[in-house]
Amino acid sequence: MGVLDYFKPVETMTAEDVRAFLGSKKPDEYNLVDVRQPKEYERGHLPGARLIPVDDIPDRYKELDLNKPTIAY
Amino acid sequence: MEGGINAWDGLRAAGPPEAGMAHFPEGASPEVLLALAWLLEEGSRRFYAELAGSAGDKDAQKLFGDLAQAEKHHEESLAGLYAKLSGKEARAGFHRDLIPGGTSEDIMEGGMSVAEGLSWAKGKGVREVLELAISLEANAYDLYIKMDRNMEKNAKAREVFSLLMLEEKQHLSRLASLLDRKM
Repeated sequence: MGVLDYFKPVETMTAEDVRAFLGSKKPDEYNLVDVRQPKEYERGHLPGARLIPVDDIPDRYKELDLNKPTIAY
Repeated sequence: MEGGINAWDGLRAAGPPEAGMAHFPEGASPEVLLALAWLLEEGSRRFYAELAGSAGDKDAQKLFGDLAQAEKHHEESLAGLYAKLSGKEARAGFHRDLIPGGTSEDIMEGGMSVAEGLSWAKGKGVREVLELAISLEANAYDLYIKMDRNMEKNAKAREVFSLLMLEEKQHLSRLASLLDRKM
């Protein structure tokens, strides 16, 4: 990931759009990432979401399949 | 996602990332995974069968009866796949010979004890029981997605978890749709 990637526009989706998207796809067709802290994840998360706290993203983004759409919250 | 988790009013799973996975040890053979999954399905089948008998609401009785039946079908699929993979007959209690060190049989999908779930549900209204069932199924769905992901190199195990994952998703929509009607 280069420095220019930080300036790429990121598309946002409403919760309703996300629900429709997740409902129409199989879980292995997208990356769903919870970027909050572990305690927040434990209290409740979208089913199947990977926990990658925002601070860990630079080290762990390679765990994601970058050829698939990624939804983060 | 705009508004983050606060904007999400849909299904949620709870627990740490590895929740429930302890039941499915990494490196376990597909046969052992099948036996463990069978055990969870059997717990859920007993849970739903009991609820079908005790729910005061006719729609809920019907749905819980259908879910008990669906869990039975899952067991049959799992036992069938076990027979296919191992070349051995999946006779009654086949899971007991496969699970290392044995395990409590009082467990269902979502990791909750069957007795605990039934005792909680006693005297509760249909909406509360549906909400519990939804949370259990959401956790089961969450677990099977993660198991499917973890089994990246094990095509046969993935076949099992993909099937279970998709079926749990269908159960969730049926439960959620009944809950909507009862609101």
